[in-house]
Amino acid sequence: MDYNEKFEMALEKVQKAPRYTGGEMNTTVKAWDEARLHFGFCFPDTYEVGMSHLGMKILYGLINRESWSLCERFFMPWTDMMDIMKAEGIPLLSMESRRPLRDFDVIGFTLQYEMSYSNILAMIEMGGVPIDSCERGENDPIVVAGGPCAFNPEPLADFIDAFMIGDGEDVMTELNRVILSRRENGWTRGKCLRELAKLEGVYVPSLYDVTYEADGRVRSVTPNCPEASPTVRKRVVVDLNTTYYPEEIPVPYTEVVFDRIMLEIMRGCTRGCRFCQAGMLYRPVRERSLEKLTDLAEKLQEATGYEEISLSSLSSGDYTCLPELIRTLMKNMKDKRVSISLPSLRIDSVLKESLEETQQVRKTSLTFAPEAGTQRMRDVINKGVTEEDLLEKVRDAFHGGWNSVKLYFMDGLPTETEADLDGIADLARKVVSEYFAVPKDRRARGLRVTVSVSIFVPKPFTPFQWAPQDTIETVFAKTGHLKKVLNIKGVTFNWHEPYLSFMEACFARGDRRMGKVLRRAYEKGCILDGWSETFRFDTWMEAFKECDLDPAFYANRERALDEVLPWDHIDSGISKSFLLREWEKSRRAETTKDCRKGCNGCGLQKWKGVCGYANAGGT
Amino acid sequence: MRILAVFEKGERIRHIGHLDIQRSVQRGLRRSGLPVAYSQGFNPHILITFAQALSTGACGKREIMDVTMAEEVSAEEFVARMNRAMPPEMQVREARAVDAKHPSLMGMVRAADYDLTIRDAEIGARLAEAIPAMMAKETIPALRKTKTKLTEVDIKPLILSIRGEANHVFATLVLTERESCKPQMLLEALKQAAGIEGEVRMLVTRERLLGEDASGVLAPLETL
Repeated sequence: MDYNEKFEMALEKVQKAPRYTGGEMNTTVKAWDEARLHFGFCFPDTYEVGMSHLGMKILYGLINRESWSLCERFFMPWTDMMDIMKAEGIPLLSMESRRPLRDFDVIGFTLQYEMSYSNILAMIEMGGVPIDSCERGENDPIVVAGGPCAFNPEPLADFIDAFMIGDGEDVMTELNRVILSRRENGWTRGKCLRELAKLEGVYVPSLYDVTYEADGRVRSVTPNCPEASPTVRKRVVVDLNTTYYPEEIPVPYTEVVFDRIMLEIMRGCTRGCRFCQAGMLYRPVRERSLEKLTDLAEKLQEATGYEEISLSSLSSGDYTCLPELIRTLMKNMKDKRVSISLPSLRIDSVLKESLEETQQVRKTSLTFAPEAGTQRMRDVINKGVTEEDLLEKVRDAFHGGWNSVKLYFMDGLPTETEADLDGIADLARKVVSEYFAVPKDRRARGLRVTVSVSIFVPKPFTPFQWAPQDTIETVFAKTGHLKKVLNIKGVTFNWHEPYLSFMEACFARGDRRMGKVLRRAYEKGCILDGWSETFRFDTWMEAFKECDLDPAFYANRERALDEVLPWDHIDSGISKSFLLREWEKSRRAETTKDCRKGCNGCGLQKWKGVCGYANAGGT
Repeated sequence: MRILAVFEKGERIRHIGHLDIQRSVQRGLRRSGLPVAYSQGFNPHILITFAQALSTGACGKREIMDVTMAEEVSAEEFVARMNRAMPPEMQVREARAVDAKHPSLMGMVRAADYDLTIRDAEIGARLAEAIPAMMAKETIPALRKTKTKLTEVDIKPLILSIRGEANHVFATLVLTERESCKPQMLLEALKQAAGIEGEVRMLVTRERLLGEDASGVLAPLETL
């Protein structure tokens, strides 16, 4: 029996077989032999998560658009499928032509979340490719990765041959061209990797040597060949109007997490929240034009038949012509019965009118993210939201017929005290009062306020990259306190177990040695760690012990300001001195203004023509 | 006016459930640009019905949808535009324009033709050979599974015709809201007749849906 037949058999036994069968509308199945370069795009999580991811759809379209390259998708199978595949010797197969991963010239992972790393090892191994880069031979594919987590590539340095840092649109094709040359010119693997290292924004970890201090801190990361540059600067797509954006995207048969058109209206954010890694990594802010967006919306709607369009960005409320964009989209889409989901923070009076006209507003719950409970704490994290702002919007919403509000907070933020935790409860109580302040006959019945508190994870390239994470014990104590103070009528409190956030913190700021822990944990059976039913914290702790490493060294230790950080050789465009300045200001609860109100000198100002808000003379 | 269209649910997508098939057809209609009619109200949806849900895991050669159009559309145009808008595994085979008063197909289904392809050729042959023995019995008890309970039913009167050929069992089985014989029930009965135990893998293909014509004779639903 060949693996295809075995795979068919497996499909009859597993839950959710459609996540493995492909054949969706707008997927591309090219003739294998007609393409000169075969790219296996791997999303290291389940189909439902992966098919909700915009970046994959962009790169899938971009690679398939070129006549010489083809791109097929791979997802992480669930445990039931994986068990059968392993028992039956079925390799990881692509969604399109059901080819094993090992048949592809390039395997590309997108790194969205640290806790998907074990899935990467599982997918590589199930695909019939050696897990360790150094074990791969001349006939093995080149394994690459990109995405936000690639900015600290070190924990994956043993397994990924080359990382793409920053925006993927341009570097993707450049990288594929080099790998095509490997095949067509008979380059050795080593030669190919050195050529890749010459590309701007490409980091080849095997071309760098890492040394450590006696206490385990990184002493140096230095190139070991001339092709590798001492620092690797991220790629930036300067003009979103001219860069590639797909005009048709795959439409899954089954419901996935985000089952709608995602229209990326801008990239980057000017707000400068100090905990937010995306806010730093995706700088500078770049907007797509109204014309481009309305045109894309039209084409995507025709190609997919979707009933809903959501505007995607880090802070859609900041898009310059948001009201005009929404009005235009609503007008164009009305006859097509397409609803536009709005960033909830901007349901201001102007919009309210057009909303009521078109009756397109569904009174689902409104979401706000004050992130912290007191003004002091919000100043520390530079979250430019005041209590008055929030309560005013909540008031509007309750008057407008909403009855459900979700509030998102973090605990464990630097300098946090019990007063800040109590502030969360105070804010929740004030929201409840706003509801009861609306006359009974004019408010929607059944108030629901959901307070979700997640655990702060310090991330590289943020002003908090030096900060310790709360220990697991402290988090439990704080959660216990929150449970007490949030025992308020009408309020539901959602909290998180700290174990996963602790592991996330270890990987987020991990060095190359974390790769050993990852490998050990994977060998011991850790996979699908992002899912509570499969996450095995104890096994991870055993893996640390067996590798003779201390997780607290990564998660709970405050970094010295002069310490070499494991990701210092990656240049995000944001200068370390800016991050340091921000870290110091946060200590004094001093805020920094939105870049749109004037350049704060984050470092991008030195990079000519990249940031539209940069002031060349900025500090 | 309405369009009755015959479409396929291909083997590759046989594990897709009925609700997902419905949604996929609706999105296909939206992609096609055909002037479909929408329901009124806050959350408008396309006016469409499906003659009969097809189980998860089964393919369908000639499934039937009944779409209400807001404007006149020819059957040819419907087929051409839908086939550009639908994935290869869900192509529209043919269509027929009917007026708004044409009876709903939903209540007219009486039976369906099935092809049960037994994956193991040798077991398939044994099952096919066991057909006469099974049909010779006075009653053919089978278990019907519902969400809450198992009930025993006699499927003999529900098997309208049956024949074997190599590893295929071709059968016409009653399919109404009141009573029906599922392919899996038939398989279990055949296994018993052939003395075969354990799991038998089969591919179920619903070949066509049948209704009764004016004289009470079974005929393909889409022709009625």
